[in-house]
Amino acid sequence: MICIRDLSVTYDTNARKVRAVREASIDIHHSAVTAIVGESGGGKSSLIYSILGLLPPEATATGKILFEGSDILSAPEATRRDFRGIKVALVTQGAMNSLTPVISVGEQIAETLRTRLGTRRREAAVKASELLEMVGLGPSFAVRFPHELSGGEKQRVVIALAISCSPVFLLADEPTSALDVITQAEIITLLGGMVRETGMGLLLVTHDLPLASSVSDSISVMHQGKIVESGPAEKIMTSPLHPHTRDLVFAANLATGRGFQ
Amino acid sequence: MRSPLLVAQKITVSFGSARSQVQALAGTDLEIFPGESLAIVGESGSGKTTLLRACLGLTAISGGYASLFGKDLSLCSRGELVFLRRRSGYVPQDPFGCVPPTLSALDAVSEPMLIADSPGKKRASERAGELLVECGLADREIWKERVRFSLSGGQRQRVSIARALALDPELLLADEPASMQDAATRKGIMEILRKRCEKGMGLVMATHDLLLASASASRVMVLYRGHVVETGPSKDLLSTPAHPYTRALGAALPGMGHSPQILVRRTDSLSGKTGCVFSARCPRRTEKCSTPPFLIQIGAGRTVACWNPGG
Amino acid sequence: MPRWSFAAFFIIVAAAIAGPSLLQTDPFESVARPFAPPVWTGGEEGPALAVSLSPSKTLFEKKWNWSPPENISIRGTLSFEEDPSASLVWTGPGGERFVLAVSGDTREWLIDIDARDVSFKASLGVPPFGNATSVLFRNHENIRVEIEGTTPSAGKIEIRTPGGKWGLMGTDQRGRDVLSLFTEGIRISLIVGLAATLISSALGLLVGLSSGYLGGKIDSFIMRGVDVLLSIPVLPILMVIVGIWGKGLWQLILILGLFSWMGTARTVRSLALTLRESCYVENLRSIGASPWYILWRHLVPEALPVLLAAVTLGVPGAILAEAGLSFLGLSDPRIISWGRMLHEAHGFGAFTAGAWWLILPPGIGISVICLVFLDMGRALEEIADPRLVKGNRK
Repeated sequence: MICIRDLSVTYDTNARKVRAVREASIDIHHSAVTAIVGESGGGKSSLIYSILGLLPPEATATGKILFEGSDILSAPEATRRDFRGIKVALVTQGAMNSLTPVISVGEQIAETLRTRLGTRRREAAVKASELLEMVGLGPSFAVRFPHELSGGEKQRVVIALAISCSPVFLLADEPTSALDVITQAEIITLLGGMVRETGMGLLLVTHDLPLASSVSDSISVMHQGKIVESGPAEKIMTSPLHPHTRDLVFAANLATGRGFQ
Repeated sequence: MRSPLLVAQKITVSFGSARSQVQALAGTDLEIFPGESLAIVGESGSGKTTLLRACLGLTAISGGYASLFGKDLSLCSRGELVFLRRRSGYVPQDPFGCVPPTLSALDAVSEPMLIADSPGKKRASERAGELLVECGLADREIWKERVRFSLSGGQRQRVSIARALALDPELLLADEPASMQDAATRKGIMEILRKRCEKGMGLVMATHDLLLASASASRVMVLYRGHVVETGPSKDLLSTPAHPYTRALGAALPGMGHSPQILVRRTDSLSGKTGCVFSARCPRRTEKCSTPPFLIQIGAGRTVACWNPGG
Repeated sequence: MPRWSFAAFFIIVAAAIAGPSLLQTDPFESVARPFAPPVWTGGEEGPALAVSLSPSKTLFEKKWNWSPPENISIRGTLSFEEDPSASLVWTGPGGERFVLAVSGDTREWLIDIDARDVSFKASLGVPPFGNATSVLFRNHENIRVEIEGTTPSAGKIEIRTPGGKWGLMGTDQRGRDVLSLFTEGIRISLIVGLAATLISSALGLLVGLSSGYLGGKIDSFIMRGVDVLLSIPVLPILMVIVGIWGKGLWQLILILGLFSWMGTARTVRSLALTLRESCYVENLRSIGASPWYILWRHLVPEALPVLLAAVTLGVPGAILAEAGLSFLGLSDPRIISWGRMLHEAHGFGAFTAGAWWLILPPGIGISVICLVFLDMGRALEEIADPRLVKGNRK
């Protein structure tokens, strides 16, 4: 499991210091979906990037992130490179638009396998097709190019890339915000299914509370960089304690028509 | 007998060269009376933005007829079009590009008034302030801020709504007016628009969010790839959807604590070249669906274009 | 944001404005012998002398450690309150006394002595083609000149020798102080650079915006015109125009401005094309804003950051163009610019005389001023678009 303790991230720009994350503590478990829900802003993404060591140079992070017994926040870049992508993988909102446009999607997955795991060419091609199958794209998709796919299909390719090295944890930062409602449902169901089948741990970061509650086991609510409430999804939705959580749940109730008209 | 603010009949819009045509809208009908609100629901690519723009004459119509305030758009001169557009408001989809970036929030809202020379200069500033307050930007500090640099996405969107309301339009066409807002504030925006409807403004709103649509408008029209698949009162469409696509939309919404359901087939291609556009993904498709369906009345104010509707 | 170029620019402008008035010599005046090297170089030649004798100072003495100067001139007027009986005496090497001049009957004593005069030479006992100064001066011996007799009440006489060396930067082929020429040249370079660039930017903005915004046939027509102008070989045309119009400074500025607006026009036009399709322009047009309103209130402010960078980057181009034209001799000889200095250096034998002090300063000056403007242009681009600053990521 990944334990984050008292993580603080501060951005030092020319004008001023911005504290994006303030002493956040959260646990991400295997075989479970952990959600962080908060308004659009830098805090949630900064947290994810701290885990992977991908913060920009003007950001400083303090605190501890324990993974497999050691603190990866203060680990050297070489160590982080080893587990980035292989043990802990990332899917972001804009990833589907960052697929290489001139290489077929199957080849992109196979290339990742060859370079990171050292798989041989033919095996990599076979594994790539299997991965595409796992995310629900049939065999005809391996030779297609990104521009020939719809948004949902591209995001599935991104997920296939992310799980290609069989990571222990998958971090997803607003993976479905740019997709329409039906595709969003498909992707979220896919992710939930993968967690149950492979025992992978999923950290889902989103601003959409109903979405988070439909698939998560535990929810942490983030407000202005602080984690204001954490708990099992059921409990958060039925009896929220913190005022901000209450606001979110209320708004979600209104939006989904429960307790409305 | 009230006269309709907007009438659209069989509007067709096609883009592209002679070789490859893309039909963005195929034969859509629309009618709005004062005080009415209509939500056009559809995913990206469904044609909802095109429909809004066609109703304002901003996009050329390849077929059909549209009239604003009783005037046929295709017969209007440039000057007449300007007058018609001043009586209507348009909130474009992208709040980043639609407010002039070099202006402050207050200037951006007062600009249409100054161009139309409607109230005088001094009064325009006051009115702009009132509109900004109405749209939820009561903090005067924000008014002087330059829109491009200092405002958040949500604030920019509110400024563009206030700008559209500047000339007190009788009809407002809004394209995803709450897309940049957090869940908590989305309702607030729709309240602003609803209050105006109560005062007699007509509202046509395009959105991908079926829930938001039904909470904000009295009638809903569902578009799928340029075709109208269902229309009706919003509550009915949410509770008892007739068209399989509407049903899928409602089921896919993440409810409180239950998983979203997926009621469409997965398909490699989205082509519905012959027959119903939705047939490739439709779970209820039959042989009849290879002939394109047309809108049929199935209840009070409800129409659906399906050979095999459910519900 | 401290950047060296802004400080340097400030210094350059200060030098241009204040410099010429701070200089003690008129740039057009000949102060020393031609091609005199700067004083801080070593050598046999003595410095220039510029001394005055007056009622308060009737004696001048100096140890002369160098070879005799080429010439000496003594000029001036002294007035007396009573009938004078005075003489100007030079005590030369070895204690010899030479009476150079004697006062006359009137109370105004006019002295005008030049060592090149044959009669003066004769009075010293020097043959007509000999050198008078070698009699008056000798290495390492004192020289002394004094007004003896009646003390004058007013007036002044100036004793001048051209001197082998002069000033911080030496002299040119006419004996003019190079430092004064250089300082004067800063002003001209700045004026030409800024004025020409302002003209070309204004033209480029006007044409680019109109063409891009109005579009259609007008746009095509204007752009074809721009293409034609761009394909004209500039230098030959400039030479022809200069031949017809004359060589004045303002002609030069106008010509440079008229031939360099095309690049800016292209850039501004593509900006206008993009902006024309933007949401808010469409919105403004649909509610009836006139094209002039849209251009003036929206497009011009949006184009200004681009234009600002283009202006600062265009100034070096104009300066170089002016330098080039002046070097070819196509500029007004009465105006001193660095290019002109290089032209005269080239044309009047500075290279053969080995007068590096005439060639290096204008050359380095042109390079430095161009670098300053280039760096400032970069800084302004970074201010306008912070993404360009190194180390700034989204």
